[in-house]
Amino acid sequence: MAAVEAPGELLRVTIDDRQVEVAPGSLVWDACEKAGVYVPVYCAHKKLEPVAVCRMCLVEIEGMPKLQPACATRVSQGMQIRTATDQVRDFRRGNLEFLLLNHPLDCPVCDRGGECDLQDFTQRYGPGRTRSAITDKVHFDKAVRLSDRILLDQERCILCWRCVRYYEEVTGEREIVLQERGVHTLVDTFEHRELQSEFQGNLPEICPVGALTHAQYRFRARPWDLRRTASVCPKCSYGCNIFIDAREEQIARFASNDNPDVDDSWLCDRGRYSFPELNRTERVLNPEARLGGGRQPVAHSEALARAAGALLRVRGDHGAGAVGFLCSPQVTNEEGFLLQWLARQVVGSPHLDHRLEPLPELSPEQFRLGIAELEERDAVVVLGDAPERSAPVLTLRLFKTETKRRRRVLRVPLGTPAASLLEPLQGCRSVGVVAHQEQRSEAVALSRSLAGAGLSSSVLTLVEGMNARGCQDLGVSPAVLPGYQPAAEPGMHGRAILEAAAAGSIKALVLLSPDPEWERDPAFEAALSEVEALIVVTPWLGLASRQATVLFPGRTVAEKAGTVTSTEGRVQRVRTALQPRFPFPPDLRVLGELGGALGTPLGVQPLAGPVFSLIAEAVPPYRGTQGGLRADWGAPA
Amino acid sequence: MPEVKVLTRHFGAPGVTGLEGYRRVGGYRGLEKALRVGPEAVAAEVKASGLRGRGGAAFPTATKWSFLPQGVFPRYLCVNADESEPGCFKDRVLLEEMPHQLIEGAMIAAFALQVSHAFIYIRGEYRRQRELLERAVREAYSAHLCGPSVLGGEWGCELIVHGGAGAYICGEETALLDSLEGRRGQPRLKPPFPAVKGLYGQPTVVNNVETLSNLPYIVVEGGAAYAALGTEGSPGSRLFCVSGHVQSPGTFEVAMGKTTFRELIELAGGVRPGHHFKAMQPGGGSMQILGPQHLDLALDFKAVSDAGSSLGAGALVVMDETTCLVDVSMRLVDFYRHESCGKCVPCREGTYFESELMHRLEAGLATEAELGTLPDVCRAMDGRCFCPLGDTATWFVMSAYRMFPEEFHSHCGAGACPVRSALGAAA
Amino acid sequence: MFRELLGGLRTTMRAMTTKPVTIQYPEEQRTVPPRHRGRHILHRYDNGLEKCIGCELCAGACPVGCIYVQAAENDPQHPVSPGERYAVRYEINLMRCIYCGYCAEACPTEAITLGPRLDLSDYKRERLVATKDDLLEAWPGFRPLSQGAGEGTGSPAPQPTPLGAGSEHRGPAGRAPGLNPPIPVRPDEGRGTPPV
Repeated sequence: MAAVEAPGELLRVTIDDRQVEVAPGSLVWDACEKAGVYVPVYCAHKKLEPVAVCRMCLVEIEGMPKLQPACATRVSQGMQIRTATDQVRDFRRGNLEFLLLNHPLDCPVCDRGGECDLQDFTQRYGPGRTRSAITDKVHFDKAVRLSDRILLDQERCILCWRCVRYYEEVTGEREIVLQERGVHTLVDTFEHRELQSEFQGNLPEICPVGALTHAQYRFRARPWDLRRTASVCPKCSYGCNIFIDAREEQIARFASNDNPDVDDSWLCDRGRYSFPELNRTERVLNPEARLGGGRQPVAHSEALARAAGALLRVRGDHGAGAVGFLCSPQVTNEEGFLLQWLARQVVGSPHLDHRLEPLPELSPEQFRLGIAELEERDAVVVLGDAPERSAPVLTLRLFKTETKRRRRVLRVPLGTPAASLLEPLQGCRSVGVVAHQEQRSEAVALSRSLAGAGLSSSVLTLVEGMNARGCQDLGVSPAVLPGYQPAAEPGMHGRAILEAAAAGSIKALVLLSPDPEWERDPAFEAALSEVEALIVVTPWLGLASRQATVLFPGRTVAEKAGTVTSTEGRVQRVRTALQPRFPFPPDLRVLGELGGALGTPLGVQPLAGPVFSLIAEAVPPYRGTQGGLRADWGAPA
Repeated sequence: MPEVKVLTRHFGAPGVTGLEGYRRVGGYRGLEKALRVGPEAVAAEVKASGLRGRGGAAFPTATKWSFLPQGVFPRYLCVNADESEPGCFKDRVLLEEMPHQLIEGAMIAAFALQVSHAFIYIRGEYRRQRELLERAVREAYSAHLCGPSVLGGEWGCELIVHGGAGAYICGEETALLDSLEGRRGQPRLKPPFPAVKGLYGQPTVVNNVETLSNLPYIVVEGGAAYAALGTEGSPGSRLFCVSGHVQSPGTFEVAMGKTTFRELIELAGGVRPGHHFKAMQPGGGSMQILGPQHLDLALDFKAVSDAGSSLGAGALVVMDETTCLVDVSMRLVDFYRHESCGKCVPCREGTYFESELMHRLEAGLATEAELGTLPDVCRAMDGRCFCPLGDTATWFVMSAYRMFPEEFHSHCGAGACPVRSALGAAA
Repeated sequence: MFRELLGGLRTTMRAMTTKPVTIQYPEEQRTVPPRHRGRHILHRYDNGLEKCIGCELCAGACPVGCIYVQAAENDPQHPVSPGERYAVRYEINLMRCIYCGYCAEACPTEAITLGPRLDLSDYKRERLVATKDDLLEAWPGFRPLSQGAGEGTGSPAPQPTPLGAGSEHRGPAGRAPGLNPPIPVRPDEGRGTPPV
């Protein structure tokens, strides 16, 4: 059948009179895509192996008597493919008629209505009505609760197997199975057990119809109600690309936005279902300032003037070292960079951090390995379970590395000596070490000793917090300046700042998007009640907003624009998905204007773009990365 | 007399179901000879015999064997004893009468292919046959006819009997392999073909019971002698299961290509008295219908295929004039609907559509317009399904519709089956 | 000249003897053609369940985007509509609506139709955003038009509010699926008196 080809030589195929060249081993489906010819599919999925059960993609191939499935047929040299003949059209109509025989007419109440492949293909290729006199469809259970996150409507299922194969090939958990046979075939969990997976949220996304749906998104919106914004998942530092789908300035769902280098189109449930906290309506809505006895709403300009005045007074009375700056790792690169500028250049204080606990010995060597590069390593060593706890999607990447790419994945307990790894790593030439940030020194040491044993080795460290990596790169920490330049005069780390504030040596504190978790920390409370001036930019009501001397309404991740850096150093954009409920300027402008009010103008507009140019100037590896590239920190020292 | 005796020549000999009896009639001499002459010589004899698969597809056995990639081990042999074609019961007879003949054939094939594990996948409903077979396998083990060292030689092969769970689709070779591996019995995507990547991902040959039962004769008497029993295009002899409206239904072994359908029906005593032949199905439930004009066709692969049908699994169902072909079609389609594995859409939903339509038609409720959708439905299934099950679900119906259109049309809006009504009136 | 005067007077006299064409609007309402497209009505099944299932197809079909629907899941014990889904919020901006009837066209359950009423005036713009209570038929303030709003203006008689879906025009009668729960009675919140 296939002519003998030299490896790597491109195959020329013709699809409906369009010629394309594709790599050997490509599927007819890939070739069609390359030629810009749309072929409808249900069972085929780019991330799953072909099964060719839905038959929707059957096309005519010259020399083959039967129609062939485009999703499972490999191309050969000179193949002539036709997708628009009467035979193909006729079959598609027939196949859709079959599919609709037992499919309930649920479209008006189905969450998938409006973004359903069965609807779309029926509109495009299908018959307008059935010719069958069958009045009684085969019925199954509706709205079966597979877990608190996922509902299954067995009637709507068209048995494409994607969910079954997803569990087999992507997570390896095999929680959904096919049962019975013929028209009575249905998908269900084995013995009706509840789904346990941490990756269930991907099921409704791969389901081509409305059989698997999100409990959280149930009846929330129609696709045409939603405004879609590409962004980054805020729940951890892994940097999964998402779409924020919002209806009336409320997030209706997070959807995956395939980035093969990061998430490979899969999200974890922790991230996917985390958005309700961003929809909270109890928010700081006005700039406020403490006037006389109580705090009152004031104009933005007055809040700025008061904040600047308070900081100048403290600096004048106690010196620049009496001002501390803290932010959470949820800030964007631009905000972090301006906070750093505000602390070091405007106020002159070295006391600056993006977290409470100290993080010594930061260096780019801890972040050399990329996520997608894991698959290219001969072996991957994972230190303990903390990395996968910190970023669950990593588990799927490791599973893929192990199964589809057939690499060795060693999960070793902490403290494993390098020598004991040499045996299981026998025959490997390159190895990747994955560690949580708490074990980063251990990981670097392990990697160095593996390199000493002749292996090419590098480390991927998982940091805590959406933009913790960006904060570290850009010097939002006491001991390093932007670009990991050691600070001449290191300041205090987060907890030390709080303790100093409680002790009275820090008189003024600037908090940018403080982590609500900190409020459980007694040191935080003590510090906040002791400081003279507390300038807070936060979206959330809480201890910080209550205690603030000057309070600015902050924006959530979904409400601001900028870039964040994922744990592998990928600089990705977050975009404004929601408009905040107040008309006041975003956090970035508050920081820039505060600098101006303190007598040091920023020099550029306090907007994400111009500030990013400042970053690129100060940290050369960031140059040109904001389109989603990894910052290149050069070869290991 | 067209009857020849190869497989059935020792049927009924005393004790032939057991090892002793089978040895008395010359059993296991084929295996001994095979071990003596070596695998290549066995394969050459099989090639010379022109033996073609008896499971339905009639693929040349030697060619199938030759597809195994060189030097890839382990490789497996699976014996397909999942006989579930409607009207087919020849494997059952072979298993009941001479299980050792199959074991010997399987071991010869296993030796020729240098297989270390051979599996007999037997139909779930064949409980008694399975017991008989297992007893025979135990006997064979104790006589060192299979096991780690066959007949004291270097080569050994385990023989494992595995029962199915009652699914027609598991007679399809890749579904059989999936079922044997413990998965849902559903056909696999081809390529890779089982010869390259079969059971447990290893090269695998799947052969029918009757195919393998022929091997002892071929090895002992020579491939040429076997081929000479039949004609050039259809060599050898073959078992035919004749059932339906004949006087004495049963399994008959006849020479291929030299016997006609009429002679075969006469072997079974002819059409029952007082009635006359209307139609027949030459290859089991899957195959297209043939009419009186085809009675003098030879049982020859090509001749039958030219007539628009196939010998299939060798089951001849004879129907006399009391038969309503809409009724027969309905029952067959019901069978396929029940047995569809549910993997692909055209088969799963198409057989449902077809069966509901045939039920309405048989009850005389369908309109002409509904009947008009039948060819469309069948066209959307035939050749479009994942495996042949869905395709064959349309063959009988469409051929019957083409051959007896007036019978189908007379059902439309009749309110009842007109054939049955006419019979009732006559009675 | 006299003839012209007489001719003019004849016209006047003739007009004096004819019945007046004015009616006491809004107490009296003109009858409209049966397919008149006036203010929308949300219908119920005979058992009181709402026909609307909150599918938002009306909102999708609306060329001016004046319909807002928020769906929710039915409590199986106390369903609002048959099936899994119902509209918890249903609002039409009557000022923006162009009364094209596409919503009724798109409705898969024949839940919304355009009715005979056309009195679209109010003192407050916000009140011209009709809510589900305004649109749904057979709510406590509902009274068929045939009874005449002007008759029996005794205080206990409920007044048709400006936006009350007062109409005897009902959607296509349908056998209501599901249970037969009582029509949920909503306490009259006294949505103000009609403009006089």
